[in-house]
Formats: sequence, structure tokens, C-alpha cells
Amino acid sequence: MTTTSLAQSTPSRRFDVLYWLRRLSRNFILRRVLMALAKIYVVITLTFFIVRLMPTNPIEAYVNELIDQYGFTYQEARDQAAALYGIDLEASLWTQYLEYMKNLLHGDLGTSYRSKGTPVAKMIAKFLPWTLFSVGVSLLISFTLGMLLGMIMAYRRGSVLDHVLTTIASIFSSIPNYLVGMMILVFLGVQWKIFPITKMRGAMSPGMKPELSWAFIKDIFYHATMPILTYVLTTIGGWMLAMKSNTINTLGEDYVTVAKARGLKESRIITSYVGRNASLPLFTQLAISIGFIVGGSALIEFIFVYQGVGQLLLNSINYRDYPVMQGVFLVITIAVILANFLAEFVYGWLDPRIRVQ
Amino acid sequence: MKSATENVPSDGQFTLKVEDLWVTYLAERGKVKAVRGVSFTLRPGETLAFIGESGCGKTTLGLSLIRLLPSTAEVEKGHILYRRDTEVMDVLQMNDRELRQFRWKECAMIFQGAQNAFNPVLRIWAQVLDTARSHGVTNKKEIRQRMEDLFRLVQLEPERVLRAYPHQLSGGMRQRVLIALGLLLKPPLVILDEPTTALDILTQRSVIDVLRDIKEKMDFSLILISHDLSLAAELADRVATMYAGKLVEVANVWDTYYHPLHPYTVGLIHAVPTLAGEREELISIPGSPPDLIDPPKGCAFHPRCPYATEKCRTEEPPLIPVAQDHEVACWHWQQVQEDGGQRMMVYSEAKAG
Repeated sequence: MTTTSLAQSTPSRRFDVLYWLRRLSRNFILRRVLMALAKIYVVITLTFFIVRLMPTNPIEAYVNELIDQYGFTYQEARDQAAALYGIDLEASLWTQYLEYMKNLLHGDLGTSYRSKGTPVAKMIAKFLPWTLFSVGVSLLISFTLGMLLGMIMAYRRGSVLDHVLTTIASIFSSIPNYLVGMMILVFLGVQWKIFPITKMRGAMSPGMKPELSWAFIKDIFYHATMPILTYVLTTIGGWMLAMKSNTINTLGEDYVTVAKARGLKESRIITSYVGRNASLPLFTQLAISIGFIVGGSALIEFIFVYQGVGQLLLNSINYRDYPVMQGVFLVITIAVILANFLAEFVYGWLDPRIRVQ
Repeated sequence: MKSATENVPSDGQFTLKVEDLWVTYLAERGKVKAVRGVSFTLRPGETLAFIGESGCGKTTLGLSLIRLLPSTAEVEKGHILYRRDTEVMDVLQMNDRELRQFRWKECAMIFQGAQNAFNPVLRIWAQVLDTARSHGVTNKKEIRQRMEDLFRLVQLEPERVLRAYPHQLSGGMRQRVLIALGLLLKPPLVILDEPTTALDILTQRSVIDVLRDIKEKMDFSLILISHDLSLAAELADRVATMYAGKLVEVANVWDTYYHPLHPYTVGLIHAVPTLAGEREELISIPGSPPDLIDPPKGCAFHPRCPYATEKCRTEEPPLIPVAQDHEVACWHWQQVQEDGGQRMMVYSEAKAG
């Protein structure tokens, strides 16, 4: 290779690199992915430090438990705890942080302090599906049902039905979900014995094998009934009210009047002209609410003894099980970011006006 | 009271015959009488323009013809007779199904401000298909062919427009898309409500040219609702002047512009500056349109009229034929005819100056 040809090829190659870098920086999807990764990093870091800022630490928590429950003296409890944990809590925060990040980059979420040696990833994998299942089903039910009822309310606005539904929706959307959960437990479970709460505990019946069978599906729905009922009751009101006001606004749009003038069938106007446009803003809200519900599932799962990730989070907080807490928060963060990510694409697909060119 | 049926040709042919139509809106203060006893006949193939100030009931009249009034409005009485071949139907008596089929297939209404006339999430082609299918036309090829022809007629690129979403088209283009879509099912009757409002002056020009061209090439009756007198002058065969929910003058386009017999029409036409005219400022009609909740007794125009006498304050003038193709509702039309509306013009200018 001669020097001249080398001199000629280098600038053009560098030009290419710059060109591709510029193309990449303009790439919509890539930009979003990078943003998402940055958000995840910030949340991981914040979680790491905030978790350690909480009063007491895993050993203290265990020591207190031993003293309270088993009447250990402080020294005994302390020795026992140190032997059990065998971790160096004295290491500087920075060292711990760097260690954690290094492991995380290798896909290692660490091991639980409390259930010694159990990988956090394994614990999450065991609990998360149940939360995703119960929350997912509830969202699906409350979103579709809420939209339907909201549209009915808008079409029948001013009627008795509208007033009744609006009142119910406002009441239910303003009660915290754990209160609704406790009321279901107390009235439907204990007082009126409609739900056999001892049988419905857990995510599935003992001895049930996870498989694709009718019996299994029936069983997991049976065990998820009360959490699902709680989520649906507490979220459906919001969808109803939002859909009602969106529908009323859409009904006043020119294109709906013109659609009527064009002699379109009423069913076509309701679905493609009113419904589709009125529901657009709800899809953004849907993405946001996914995060909220996963985060808010802790108390519900605790109330109904449902083995989801919320239950796991609550326990890990009690024991100050840092790796598990961090792991769960990481999962919730990723869930929210992923949901928003998806929402943007779904929204672009539904609404051509903001579609990415 | 004699009605416009006087002017129906002897064979009694008409496309649309409106008889004594009354429309009111429910408002907090009371009933707004937006249309008060309007009668007119639309002959096959003709263009009838309705002119008048904002709030005189033009659009309400147009909407009531296809029964698309808002829920606060009510047709109190009257008949809207639509004729197709030998069959005569009363639009006000149609059931939901008949009404749906009547709309667009028999009578297409092209709205003012077509900016938001299309569903923002569907492509134009999908909305064309929606329209055709709702009226039982399912042959995609045939629809496509017809729509492409119509788009060329309104000077649009068929390929591009059919594929576009509404927001990708300009206001003038959307207006033309709506006009073309209006003609898709070859309706015998088309209502154009302020087709050029909200468009810039050049776009207005091209839309008007398109409308004239279409009217020449295709056979349908047209009702044009506009406050734009020059638009009416260009397109209409006959002009009906509306004031306070009533027709005050119905005449052929020549008579309306050169020999108006109602003081209000005189004032309205005098108010429009001509391009070559010496006036630069607008000469408006003194006073403002009346309150339609409690319209003035007698002739509704009397508070603003220099010809008004005691009779005008108490007795309502009927719309009577005064010449071939010319009806007017004024007690003093002969005076107006004598002085050529001079008194009205002087009155307007004095108040304006």
C-alpha cells in the first residue's frame, strides 16, 4: 500500500464515522434507548444510597428481632447475627457501590442477606410473575371496562345512569386501594363469608403444578380474585371519568358532525370516530399507571397474602435486606420505563399526528 | 301568506320544497327563534344562495335541512319536502335509517371550516371508503376511480391525497377534499355552508373556481349559504336574503344585485366595497341585528330602516311576488323601487360618516 492511497483513505473513513455518529444521534429509537438507560442508572444509584440511609441496618434488624422474639441478650443476638450474615458492613459506601455496579453489569443482582445465599434474581423470578399476572389482568379489565362505561356515560350524559356511575366512579377512585382491600377482607371475607379467605390465600393452591391446563388457570384466577377485585375497583373510576370527559369533548368535534352528515352508521362513528379519538390520551395514562400499580401492590399483596413482588419488597424492607430491596426497585423502575417506552410507540401508532417520520 | 311556491314552474318540479319552517334554540334567557316561517323552493339544477349577516339563521336553516341541528335546537313546525324522481318525502318525518341514507347520498352538506371535518387518525382513503360503504357502495375499484376523477376535478393529486392523513393537507386542500367527497355519491342536492370562510384570499379564489367548474360539469341542485356576497353573485341563479330568521327577498341574481327591493338587501349590497369603487371603508347597516329571543313586532327590520312607517312597527309584511322571479317582504318596496334604494344608502353613509 502506498502512502498516497493511505492518505486518501483515512479522511474518508473518518468522515464516515462522523457521518454515522450523527445519523445515530438523530436516530429516534437509539436516543430513547440511551435516555432509558440513563434513567435506570440514576434510579439504581439513588436506590443504593437511599436504602442505606434508612435507620438501622440488616444486622440491627436481625438483632432486634432476636431480642424481641426469642429473648436473646444483646451480645448473644449480635454474635448470632454476625455469624449468619458474614458480611462486611464496615466497608466504605463507595467500595460497596462500585462492587454492586460491577456485579450488576454482569447481570448479577447479588444474594439476599436474610435468606443466605439465595440469589436475588431467583427470588424476583419467583415472585414477579404473580404481580405481573394480577396487575396485568386488573389493568386490562379496568381499562376496557372503564372506557366502555365512560363512553356510555358520555352518550347518556345527564341521565340517572350517568349520575349514578359518576358518583360511584368518584367515590371509588378516591379511596386508597389498601382500604378497599381491607374492606373486602373484612366484609366479603370475614363478616359475610362470601370469599373463603383461608383457601384463597397465596398465588395458587398447595400442590398445584404450573402448567398450561384449565385447572391451573382456574386456580390462579381463583387465588388472584381478591387482589384483582381491589385493583379494578380502585382504578376503574379514573378511567371512567377520563373517558367520559374525553368522549364529551370528542362528540363536539366537527369531524363527528361531518361523519353524521356523511350518513355513516352509528356503530362506525362510535368506534372509529368517537371512541378511537377519545381514548388516545388514556394510553399515555395507562403506561404511567402500570408503574404506580406495581409499586402500590405491596400493601394489597400483604393484605391478601399473595406471593407477589410487593410482598417480597415489604419483607425485604422489614429485614433491611438491601440487595433484595434494590433488586425489586430495579424491576419496578425498568417496568415503568419500559411501559412508557411502549406507550410512546403505541401512541405513535394510534395517532398519526405524532407519528415519527 | 303566499309562499315561494308561486315561482315553481308550471310542471311543479322541485328538488326541495321547504314550507313554513320554524326552528328554535333553547337558551337560558328563553327560546331563540332562529328560523321563523321560512318557505322556499329549490328547482332541479339551480343554485340558490342564502345571504345575510351572521346570526340571521342561515346555518341553522342549512343544518335543519339534513336534521343535524344541535340537541338544544328544535324544529317547531314545517315541512321539508325532498323529491327524487316521482317520490316526495318529508325529511322531518324520516326515521333514523331513512335519514342516514338521505344524508350524503341524496343531500351532501359541505360545512364551513372544513379544517376539522376529517377524522385525524384515519387516512383520507379510509374515510372515503367509510362514506361509500355506509351507503352500500362496496366496489373498491369503482370508488377509487370515481374519487380520483373527482380529485382531479377539484385540482388535487389523487394518489397523494388519498394516502394522506388530514393533518398533512392544507386548509384549502381539506376544503376541496370535502367538496370532492360530497360529490362521491352523486347527490341530487348539495348544501355548501360558507365554503370559503377561514381560507386565505388566494385559496378562496381557487375554491370558487373549482365550484363553478363543478357546477358546470355536473348536474345537481345547490344551496349556497354565505355572507360573502361576491361568492353568491358568482355562483347563484337566485338569491334569498335572510334577516332575523325570515326570508325578506328572493330574486334572481341579477335583480338582487342591480334592483334590490328590500331596504335590507340594499344596505347589504351597498356595504360591500367594489374593487373598482371609490369607497375604501365599509359602509355598514346602522344598528345591529335584532334579538331573536324577542324579535321586534311588525317588520323585524324596522328599527334600522329609513323607510319605516307606523305600519311597519305593527304589521308583519308577507313575502309576495312583485315581478317575474322576484319576491319581497316589505310594505314599501315600491318606494325602494322608485328611488333605487337611495334613501337606504344615504342613511347608511350618514350614520357611518
